[in-house]
Amino acid sequence: MQDDIIVVEHLTYQYLGTDRPALKDINLRIKRGEYVALLGRTGAGKTTLCLSLNGIVPHMTMGEFSGRVLVDGVGTLDKPVREMAKKVGMVFDNPEYQLSQMTVREEVALGLENLGVPREEMLRRIAEVLRIVELDGLDDRSPLALSGGQQQRLAIAAALAMYPEILVLDEPTSNLDPLGKREVFRVARQLNKERGMTIIIAEHEVEVMALHADRIVALHEGEIVLNGTPHDVFREVETLDRIGVRVPQVTQLAYELDHQYGKWGGSYPVTVEEALQALQSHIGGY
Amino acid sequence: MSAVLAPIMLFIPGNSFLHRLHPLTKLAWIVSIMLFAFFMRNPLVLAIVTLVGICLVWLSRTWRSYKQSMRVLLPVVCALIFFQFVAPAYPRPWNPVVPLGPLTIYQEGVYSGLVFALMITAAATVALVGVMTTHPGDLFASLRRLGVPYTLNFMILNTLQLIPILQREFNIVLNAQRARGMKATGIGALVPSMVPVFAGAIERVQQLSMSLESRAFGSSGKKTSLREISARPIDYVLTSLAVLFLAGTIYYVIRFGTPDWSKQIHWPPAFAIALFFSAIVGFLALAGSFVLQFRHQ
Repeated sequence: MQDDIIVVEHLTYQYLGTDRPALKDINLRIKRGEYVALLGRTGAGKTTLCLSLNGIVPHMTMGEFSGRVLVDGVGTLDKPVREMAKKVGMVFDNPEYQLSQMTVREEVALGLENLGVPREEMLRRIAEVLRIVELDGLDDRSPLALSGGQQQRLAIAAALAMYPEILVLDEPTSNLDPLGKREVFRVARQLNKERGMTIIIAEHEVEVMALHADRIVALHEGEIVLNGTPHDVFREVETLDRIGVRVPQVTQLAYELDHQYGKWGGSYPVTVEEALQALQSHIGGY
Repeated sequence: MSAVLAPIMLFIPGNSFLHRLHPLTKLAWIVSIMLFAFFMRNPLVLAIVTLVGICLVWLSRTWRSYKQSMRVLLPVVCALIFFQFVAPAYPRPWNPVVPLGPLTIYQEGVYSGLVFALMITAAATVALVGVMTTHPGDLFASLRRLGVPYTLNFMILNTLQLIPILQREFNIVLNAQRARGMKATGIGALVPSMVPVFAGAIERVQQLSMSLESRAFGSSGKKTSLREISARPIDYVLTSLAVLFLAGTIYYVIRFGTPDWSKQIHWPPAFAIALFFSAIVGFLALAGSFVLQFRHQ
């Protein structure tokens, strides 16, 4: 389908020196403009899947690769990572480890310098992306003097400046405090809703994913166990529990009410708003 | 974990004459002066070069940083002097100055010790002035204009930046060890903390390289630069002078040989002994203070 910007077919990958594959026969299609959340326990294969979307797996890692990953029709095996970088922006989990330049401005410019973007255009794009991630005014600050949330937003800005169609974020908030987390999620959602950017994000914050994501993909030991809308996926409370993935608290509550007291009809809510509406009809009269 | 610290960079922002010079002009002079120092194995000449360097440090208002960096170098210099005294890097025969227990201090030893010490000091001073007054981004861009391969360039500059980062990581690991009741003072504490620091450094560099590739690092084709450095007439003039200076040095050395006074200078025994012991004391004091720094953290 032309709508699919990413097609993963029978992807299997085993890192050199390990005794089981990190990914087993992954089949996944992602539409243009979708916001997809990857959930799963540590070691489930989320990072490996993210890295395979721009070719870091297998070009920069050692192991056995089979299957194929097509990004906008182009196979990741056929192009080096630096080529795929024009389509896919990547943000990693440790904010500080991604930064290498002396100032915020230079960090954002790095990718543009590599692409040979003319200087005037560079300046324009830098101003634009810094405004999007709300770091404008900090152009001359050293990246090491920023807070974790700011650093991660800088990493996003640096990826954004290259105008990718797809942004992949691998546990971008795991090293951040609650405020930092909120900032990153806000930017991701804004990029998706206002600019139609395809977002693929590996995360543990299920409540936020329930609210923002169009689709949830749950991984366990390298395999896709669940793949659907937040409602479809979070309803499977027992399966998710087995594979070590939390469900939103309101979903857990509905599940318990249903199974312990038999007092829940209909679908489980995944957000607080839905829960309020559902509870109103159940409890009624307030 | 991100610390809200500014990095300990070698570059000191400022607006002195030296700061405003083109990076390549400074590079040309550093190379010329270093080669000059290398060829002129003469304590008087080297002392003058060092003094000129120190004047430049004062001019560029980078004295404090200079002092800090040189403190690291001084134990090395003292050790050099010591070893030259013990085994001069000169062909025999050696002229003895004064016997000192099992050793004899030789004229050539004193000369050679002074020469090496001053050579390193002069070279380091000049190099530091250059590094402290040049923004790494500017140096990077100008080296690229010269045709230095992009990746090599990047490697050098990132190494300079990695040093303060590793220092910080090291301190974090030492504190963690201390919190766990492990040995945290003296040399014994340094070795076990090296493993986590290096493991962390490897992980950091791995993720950095992925991050860079994901931003098209290493692409072939034309690259543009954010920073613009323009060359002023004075930059051209000074660079030409540096080249002339270097040419002059080479000519002088070919024509007259290096001004080696090792046979002519007869050092007073008191001076030789004083220098010898100063070197020992200097080395122990400075090296010792580094170890003490670890104890009192």
